[in-house]
Amino acid sequence: MEIVVCVKPVPDAETRLRAAADGKTLDAEGVKFVLAGYDESAVEQALLLKESIPGSKVHAIAYGPAPRTEEVLRAAIALGCDQATWVDAAGDSSGDPVTAARALAGVLAGVPRDLVLLGKQAGDDESGIVPAALGQLLGVPDFSCVVDLRWDPAGTRFRFQRPVETGVESWAVPTPLVIGLQQAWNDPRTAKLPAILKSRKAPIGRTTPASASAHSLPEKFELPPPRTGARLIEYKTPQEAAEKLVRVLREEAKVFP
Amino acid sequence: MTGPTVVVGEVADGHLTGPTLEAIGVARALGRPTVGFVAGAHARSAGPEFARYGVLEVYVADDARLDSAPGGARVGPLREVLASTGASVVLAGGTTNGRELVGRIAIAWDAAAATGVTELAAVEDGVRVRRPIFGGRATESRRLTGERQAIALRPHAFPSPAESPGTPHLHEVSPGALPAPLAAAERTGVAPTVRGAGPGLTDASIVVSGGRGLRGPENFHLVEELAAALGAAVGASRAVTDAGWRPTSFQVGQTGRAVSPQLYVAVGISGAIQHIVGMISSRVIVAINSDASAPIFKVADYGVVGDLFQIVPALTAEVRRVRGL
Ligand SMILES: Cc1cc2nc3c(=O)[nH]c(=O)nc-3n(C[C@H](O)[C@H](O)[C@H](O)COP(=O)(O)OP(=O)(O)OC[C@H]3O[C@@H](n4cnc5c(N)ncnc54)[C@H](O)[C@@H]3O)c2cc1C
Repeated sequence: MEIVVCVKPVPDAETRLRAAADGKTLDAEGVKFVLAGYDESAVEQALLLKESIPGSKVHAIAYGPAPRTEEVLRAAIALGCDQATWVDAAGDSSGDPVTAARALAGVLAGVPRDLVLLGKQAGDDESGIVPAALGQLLGVPDFSCVVDLRWDPAGTRFRFQRPVETGVESWAVPTPLVIGLQQAWNDPRTAKLPAILKSRKAPIGRTTPASASAHSLPEKFELPPPRTGARLIEYKTPQEAAEKLVRVLREEAKVFP
Repeated sequence: MTGPTVVVGEVADGHLTGPTLEAIGVARALGRPTVGFVAGAHARSAGPEFARYGVLEVYVADDARLDSAPGGARVGPLREVLASTGASVVLAGGTTNGRELVGRIAIAWDAAAATGVTELAAVEDGVRVRRPIFGGRATESRRLTGERQAIALRPHAFPSPAESPGTPHLHEVSPGALPAPLAAAERTGVAPTVRGAGPGLTDASIVVSGGRGLRGPENFHLVEELAAALGAAVGASRAVTDAGWRPTSFQVGQTGRAVSPQLYVAVGISGAIQHIVGMISSRVIVAINSDASAPIFKVADYGVVGDLFQIVPALTAEVRRVRGL
């Protein structure tokens, strides 16, 4: 099984978000970029599938600028991916997921791939556009919000579930396909120190996509007013707490009649 | 020349869903002609529904195969509608399928795309959108340029439109043959979401979630009764789903569902970051927890520090009383 996992470097969860000087995007100065969230689950799932399907390989591909993109690819290698390709986003500062999908598809078109795995959405912009755009670009079916992704060797197809608003769908789909993952079989593993050290010397392929002009451009990056913490309801009896809470919810927050 | 706005309708139990109604409201506010598009087995029944909200031109791909085929099968008929109406904007509701369709149509129709949109305005060369990012920790505004835009809204960010009844004109769209790669994919089943009598987790305007503070599955009814009184959906922390007290479909958070209701009530949930990212963009957050230092109180708007086994039944009784239940 040739598995390709696409990942995006995103700011570490601890990052104190700030707007850049032009007010349009996140200030990336001093920010630590990592493999995180749904992408981390996608890598975990790719490795689990590789371990359970003999003769499988995992190729990690990431679109983004230097040096953060190479760093997350090294993290993917340290976790157990066999090969990595950096699609250099130099010159594209749009943060447009459609542009990213086109750049990734350019590389995907030329590599062996039975399964393309991604997180269902990136941990920063949370667009969820790339998996569906890749399906369309590659001419293969795509599914997002996928859980319990399993290979059925007898039926030579993937079986998985998709909990969506209308119910939990079950699917059986032959390769090639694109999966936007919601959850891996288990929590993501952490890399071992020797593997991390070794990954520093691992070769990383680099390609530059044909330049494309993005149709989605950032104009403003804003932080919400800081949450000041909960207003605590003061009470002597549970009944009093309930009455006061219901009153503020109706009269002040107006969340129900 | 700006063309009409096409609203992609989703139907459940014979009615347009809440997210579709929100999209109709947004489309009408854009001030351009609005047309509806629906695909699937009972697509025609959506015609009068669209017309009730003032959308009279409705394109239907009435074909049951579209319900059980991968979402990509809707791209062909939708593209036909976009071409024949000369549309400028496609609007979808804030659902998984709506979001996916936007990603595909961005390619198939060569459009600028955005999802999770909470504000939207026509500007000189396109559309400006605003959307929460980083789990609601920041907001970005983007300009979608060019002649075509595909946009999925964030659920509950917009009100449902007022009714404005009229008589629909239905236009049939032929779905054509499924592309072979899509035809090979088989939907083997659909289990209705375990939702009790209440609304689904991600469409609900109120969500009540329970955590480990409930101590065991035998106490989860406390959360369910409060939810029933509020007309809310029931959610859970991962501590609850991991322990098997409730199925994983209840889980809110990074590895579960992201919800953004008008009101989110966290009962006996500590407020781990992986839970917070799934509910932080709720409009109003209430926390009930016996530990005044629990992190959930940092993100909540209102808090009750106390024993949930006393507070929750009292709250349920009070909600029932004011709602006359
Ligand atoms: C990779 C990864 C992904 C994860 N994804 C998710 C996710 O999607 N969703 C998620 O929820 N978690 C997720 N987690 C787990 C998360 O870190 C927490 O462990 C989990 O959210 C804790 O659930 P809890 O708040 O119910 O339990 P606890 O943290 O144990 O909190 C229980 C709370 O109940 C309170 N309490 C106890 N008794 C009472 C009482 N009688 N009355 C009132 N309050 C009481 C306590 O004060 C405490 O604050 C993830 C973790 C990892 C590592």
